[in-house]
Amino acid sequence: MNKVFRLFFALLFCLALSGTQADASETIKIGVQAPTTGQYANEGQGIDQGVRLIAEQVNAKGGILGRQIEIFTCDDEGTAMKAAICAKDLVNKDVIAVIGSYTSTCAEAAQATYYREGILQTTDGTSDALTEHGYWTFFRNSFPNSAEATYTANYFINVKKYKKIAIVSDFSSYSTGLGDSVIGEIKKLGGNIVYQGKIKAGEQNYTPVLTNIKSTHPDVIYFSGYYNEAGLLRSQQMQLGVMADFYGSNACDNPDYIKLAGKYAEGSYLINVPSPELLPYDLAINFLKDYKAKYKMDPPSIWTLLNIDGMRAILHAIEETGTTDTKKLAEYLHTLKDYPGITGPIEWAPDGNRVGSAHQTYEYQADGSKKVIYPIVK
Amino acid sequence: MDIFFQQLVNGLTIGSIFALVALGYTMVYGIMKLINFAHGDLVAMASFVGLTVYDQFLGKTTNSILAVIIIFAVTGTIIAMAGIVLERVAYRPLRKAPRLSAVVSALGASLVIQNGIMLIWGPRMRFFPADILPAITWNIGGVYISFIQVVILVISLLIMVGLIFFIDKTRVGAAIRATSIDHDASRLMGIDVNGIITLIFVIGTFLGAVGGLFIGLYYRGINFNMGWNYGLYAFVAAIIGGIGNIPGAMVGGMLLGIFKAFIAGYVSSTWADAFTFTLLIAILVVKPTGIMGERVAEKV
Repeated sequence: MNKVFRLFFALLFCLALSGTQADASETIKIGVQAPTTGQYANEGQGIDQGVRLIAEQVNAKGGILGRQIEIFTCDDEGTAMKAAICAKDLVNKDVIAVIGSYTSTCAEAAQATYYREGILQTTDGTSDALTEHGYWTFFRNSFPNSAEATYTANYFINVKKYKKIAIVSDFSSYSTGLGDSVIGEIKKLGGNIVYQGKIKAGEQNYTPVLTNIKSTHPDVIYFSGYYNEAGLLRSQQMQLGVMADFYGSNACDNPDYIKLAGKYAEGSYLINVPSPELLPYDLAINFLKDYKAKYKMDPPSIWTLLNIDGMRAILHAIEETGTTDTKKLAEYLHTLKDYPGITGPIEWAPDGNRVGSAHQTYEYQADGSKKVIYPIVK
Repeated sequence: MDIFFQQLVNGLTIGSIFALVALGYTMVYGIMKLINFAHGDLVAMASFVGLTVYDQFLGKTTNSILAVIIIFAVTGTIIAMAGIVLERVAYRPLRKAPRLSAVVSALGASLVIQNGIMLIWGPRMRFFPADILPAITWNIGGVYISFIQVVILVISLLIMVGLIFFIDKTRVGAAIRATSIDHDASRLMGIDVNGIITLIFVIGTFLGAVGGLFIGLYYRGINFNMGWNYGLYAFVAAIIGGIGNIPGAMVGGMLLGIFKAFIAGYVSSTWADAFTFTLLIAILVVKPTGIMGERVAEKV
């Protein structure tokens, strides 16, 4: 009986060996975890379409290391529960790397699974918590909230020289985190915060808070929340005669902001990473052209492009190291310096944070367009 | 001091809307002893219907005042009809049933209307155009009052005064008061009780529709699930004022608006809701019939 078992295992071993030998002809499997349905469907679909476009382009040129790229997409619907299921699903598909997800919540819910399985993950989530676990598999392709906070504080204190600053957040983890971060950075620079408070998202009447802010006579109101509340805050601010500049954070960057703020959108400001159409790189121009040619539309936002950069960096690493061993790929990615990305040079800190900050300040024009008034700071 | 008056104006504006919605609650309760939980969702529906009416028929009109009057008339009519349907379908078959059945039916109707709005208009926020009413703001000694705030305050007050006159001074009003005291005795006196109840639903939902349109015109962004929030506040307002009591609903709505504004302004907006419900509990403990509750006639 024992002999039979031995023979059986010996056979299995041979099969496994032949499997690894046949590797060269197999595909390189990449996962996409993105909310392709639900509240953030347009963002999730953008990421999926972008990744598939890149894979198609690489495959048309003969693939990488002589192997074709195969994409597996899992829809996490923007919820943590589905994200955890997606992580298991993609692990079972034997992917070596996962692009996504769009929200910090989903990226966080999935990242431990990828870490345990040694699968690389690159996401546009901005929450600082994502890099606090120290997972070697994790690479953020966007800029963390703390980078935006540093940029914002510097711009307010050193460039605009605001003397009285009012800061408003809502109760979401993104908004609270960013708001606290901005407050910390401003205090570090010796800035004077005359008001800090929170509003309840979804409550439409913000006049009591704004009336309080008015009594502190601020030069500027900074809101670190989402576009719906930003639009109402801006419109009610002006109706109350609070004559302060108004700045929104990256989640205020949405056409609905203009609809809610109405004519008061003009002359308000926004701090975000560059809009896709404003990226000054040839790579970006070409990618946007290809994307439009294939999908007959523009990518929904900069978040698509940031994820594409994560994908491109991983493919680049596979090509340079000549392997799909994720440990070696991660080591290589950490040594990248100024790798040309669509969204600017890419470099990763040991904790997986993207180094630098490509934030810009925009001013809304009367026609609803955005004009860059303070350029990229590296 | 201008801060104080500014908060007062803020509170009165939102309070007027609460009061308009609360009137629908209180009238239905007064006549049927039923909390119409679907009322808030009819208010939300009014915002969406109003926006559609504007988009479909009036988008190109230059006369904004005429446009607004037409929006109010058409939307009010449609929502009042929805109120009649609601009463026929969800409440009339249960009139002799235990009161809990009617409350469950009301909650079910609320969900049906909310999901109906989502199916028809979608789950995303929709927006009233910014230019329906002129965006004028007056500065009176540091207190800013916008045109839309004045419109909301004045129209709400006119409607409420008209309603009190109608209930207190007309024959139909007398019939409504009689029906609220005793259905059977009123029927014996020759009052068409079903007709009166239908009329109450028409008036109540029409007032709610006006409130819903004010929400759309004032805040512009409307959501399929916003009815629940406004319904809840209006319900609290009705209880504060003494449910079943029409002047009480108005006073309760205004007081709640001002109270919320002051708490949010002077304490913390985070705590506004907690204080609101503490106030509700306090009133229920100290004076269970509400501020103006003594005028409610008790059923014997």
